[in-house]
Amino acid sequence: MANVSIRGLTKQFAEVAAVDDFHLEIGDGEFVSLLGPSGCGKTTTLRLLAGFLQPDGGEIRAGGEVISSPTHLVPPERRQMSMIFQSYAVWPHMTVAQNVAYGLKFKKLTKQEIEKKVIKLLGVVHLAELKDRYSAELSGGQQQRVALARALVVEPQILLMDEPLSNLDANLREEMRFEIRRLHEEFKITTVYVTHDQAEAMATSDRIAVLDRGRLVQVGRPSEIFDRPKTRFVAEFVGKANILTGRFDGDGLLHLGDGVKIRVNSTGEISATGQVAVCLRPHNISLLADDAEARRMAEQGYNLFPGTIRRSIYFGDSIDYTIELATRETLRVITPPSQRYESGQEIYAAAHPDVCVIVRHE
Amino acid sequence: MPASQTGTFRRVAYTGWSAFRFKDPTFPVWIGAAILLVFLMLLPLGAIFRASLWDDTGITLNRYFEVFTNEQFLKAIWNTLIISTWVGVLAVITGALLAFLVTRTDLPWKKSIRALVMASFVTPPFLGAFAWTLLAGPNAGALNKLYRAATGSEEALFNIFTMPGLIFVMALYSFPFVFSMIANVCELISSDLEDAAEILGANKWRTAWTVTLPLAMPALIGGFILAFLQSLSLFGAPAILGLPAGLHTITTQIWALFQYPPRLDLAAAFSVPLLLATMALIAVQKKILGRKGYSTVGGKGGQKRLIHLGLGRVPVLLFVFGILSLSVFLPYWILLKAALSKAWAMPLTSDNFTLHNFSFAFFEYGDTQRAIYNTFKLGIVTATLGTLLATLIAYVTHRNLFRGARYLTFFALAPLVIPGIVLAVGLFIVYTRPPLVLYGTIWILFVAFLTKEMPIGFSQAESTFKSIHPELEDASRIIGANRLISLKDITAPLARSGLIAAWSFIFIGVIRELSAAILLFAPSSKVVSVVIFDLKEEGQVGVIAVLGTLMLAVSFLVILGVQWFAGRDVVATRE
Repeated sequence: MANVSIRGLTKQFAEVAAVDDFHLEIGDGEFVSLLGPSGCGKTTTLRLLAGFLQPDGGEIRAGGEVISSPTHLVPPERRQMSMIFQSYAVWPHMTVAQNVAYGLKFKKLTKQEIEKKVIKLLGVVHLAELKDRYSAELSGGQQQRVALARALVVEPQILLMDEPLSNLDANLREEMRFEIRRLHEEFKITTVYVTHDQAEAMATSDRIAVLDRGRLVQVGRPSEIFDRPKTRFVAEFVGKANILTGRFDGDGLLHLGDGVKIRVNSTGEISATGQVAVCLRPHNISLLADDAEARRMAEQGYNLFPGTIRRSIYFGDSIDYTIELATRETLRVITPPSQRYESGQEIYAAAHPDVCVIVRHE
Repeated sequence: MPASQTGTFRRVAYTGWSAFRFKDPTFPVWIGAAILLVFLMLLPLGAIFRASLWDDTGITLNRYFEVFTNEQFLKAIWNTLIISTWVGVLAVITGALLAFLVTRTDLPWKKSIRALVMASFVTPPFLGAFAWTLLAGPNAGALNKLYRAATGSEEALFNIFTMPGLIFVMALYSFPFVFSMIANVCELISSDLEDAAEILGANKWRTAWTVTLPLAMPALIGGFILAFLQSLSLFGAPAILGLPAGLHTITTQIWALFQYPPRLDLAAAFSVPLLLATMALIAVQKKILGRKGYSTVGGKGGQKRLIHLGLGRVPVLLFVFGILSLSVFLPYWILLKAALSKAWAMPLTSDNFTLHNFSFAFFEYGDTQRAIYNTFKLGIVTATLGTLLATLIAYVTHRNLFRGARYLTFFALAPLVIPGIVLAVGLFIVYTRPPLVLYGTIWILFVAFLTKEMPIGFSQAESTFKSIHPELEDASRIIGANRLISLKDITAPLARSGLIAAWSFIFIGVIRELSAAILLFAPSSKVVSVVIFDLKEEGQVGVIAVLGTLMLAVSFLVILGVQWFAGRDVVATRE
């Protein structure tokens, strides 16, 4: 079947590297998201995978065979892939059924076989009753389902999705995330999914590859990406993050300045003694006003940050506090709505060393 | 690399140079279309320069020397400049005024006015010129007879066979170009800018003069150049109205050089300045129209308030219909009258009424049947193959299929700067000698028309492609369709109405073409426009009127067909 192997992939547009020395191994049946801000090269990577673009360096293999390299290019129509587009790209001059049936034209199938497959797929995406409609008569969500059916009916080895949900409204987007994951569970097609929305990537993917300025920054399971970001960029792009800076002083503690020292999640990777950054997720920090309790937490190994509440915003299901630390740095803390503190109140913020993650400063 | 790689991904192994050529199995189609286009454009131009510069002994400038010292030739150039300048000025005044009235005032019957402007647009100038010989010929011209009857004078009021007469007729059929250009601009100028002037105390007319006019200035200059170029390259009208008065223009002079004894070399040398002048003017026009700082003219048109003409509506309307009667009503009326009467100059009474002209033209007169057949055959073949080639080229440039593809735009639009008669000189030189002798067949006309109509087909196809999201085609490629199949199944059907419009523009352009056909026809390959021109010499007014009516009727039917099909305005999409 089709595992995908991307090695040293490079693509330049007018001297600027849109994709720069990109490596990624995607297992057969795996669902991988390429996540990053606009301009990070994720769509270019996808179009390179599809064969719409030819790389300037490196190669892409599928099922072990080179399908893209600076000297070889299997054209898109012979890659046994399917793709879902941001604009849906449902052909307006064909009915839903004709759209879905189109790709089967190129396989040696009888009319009956084609019809059977089309009806089956339309059932899978819940569009059976709309098969004779034209795209102008469909809602955005329905068009997206047509695009899905059209892509799946040809039984591709690899499915590519280019921000498929970005044109949908928020509710539908959430529903379609689950739908895409459900279809993946059902068909187990190797999938590469491009998005700038971390929640989408988390909900759908087996693994997430975070891209920044044409380079792969980190790849891993959603929880790895969220809990163990390797760089400041990943920490800040995926979820909310407090970034504090300090230096190691040989005692294993991170000195944040003004005498504040914290214990951090030690990783072998960070051996530097220079300036380093540490990431604390706002959800992983708790607040306490009571000195005795604070001492108890400190004894259990928690890091304590004395500070002052500067701002609080009530969201109903949570409260978002901004704490000013002694170092003049600020810390965002998100707590359950039951924990109420006043603005100006002196307070301790507590975080376990496990959730104080050293990240590469870039 | 192992040769025995098989499996899920069937792969064609390519290396080196062949990788460039056969990266895509449909590649030969694209590169073939590109090469065809380049040859189509370069061959005639190359031939002209060659013929004007080379003789048996080598390179020489003798032909240029001969052309530019000959008083007759210099006179023709001078005439052309005077005529074209006046035509440009008159066309801009009329076209801009009408465009302003139609877009920015509450003049009634705007739709009819636009339709009539389009009718002037569709009328071949040589046919208009012919109609005006019947209206304002010094002796039998209908308007002169009316004048004599009314005043008892012996003198003619108008003589169309003069330079002013020629300028007048050419301006009548050039102003629609300016009209559509200015009308577009007027529709895009935001009323906000004009409101700003009004808040500062300017009245409506002052605002129009101080704000609207300067904003429209680039379009006015562009329109002048367009009309100037148009009259520079016209052959039919100057030949019909100028030649009887001994008045030569550059185009008629080139034609005269083709009469016995033919002097191809001089014709070529004489074509070069016309070619260079056209190129220079197009360059100037592009520069003026492309200048930044007029970004207000180019956004979406906001809500516009119309200037109230009040009591002025009636005289303004009379004025507008006066101009349109000069370009449409009077010429059409006299053509129809001539087609239906035994003696065209007599009143159309029951004694004078006849259908004989029709039966004579269609069944008796030798040349016409064949010419009608040739014309429609050429129209259909050229429009079909022209649309196909233009579509392929527009696709190549739009998708940038290979390195340098965007330069094809230059070649596809090049005929804009080649006057028809100059193109004909080049094609005559190329295709009267081996390896490809097309002269004497209608295929040389096909090549001429295909070349000449390429810009219209190309621009139409290109703007159509621009409106189609490329992902629609990517979607079909990724599930198994190659480029050509995608173009056929997805893009072409979506572009259908645009491509049908392209077909129709080419078809109409072909059936009315005279200036290239007049040099390239042979007795067996005459077309209707050439027959009309010949019949003019024989004084066969009735037959000419019939053929002219037929040509107009077919053009209008095609336009109506497109409008019905596309449900949109053809004049608007032609821009």
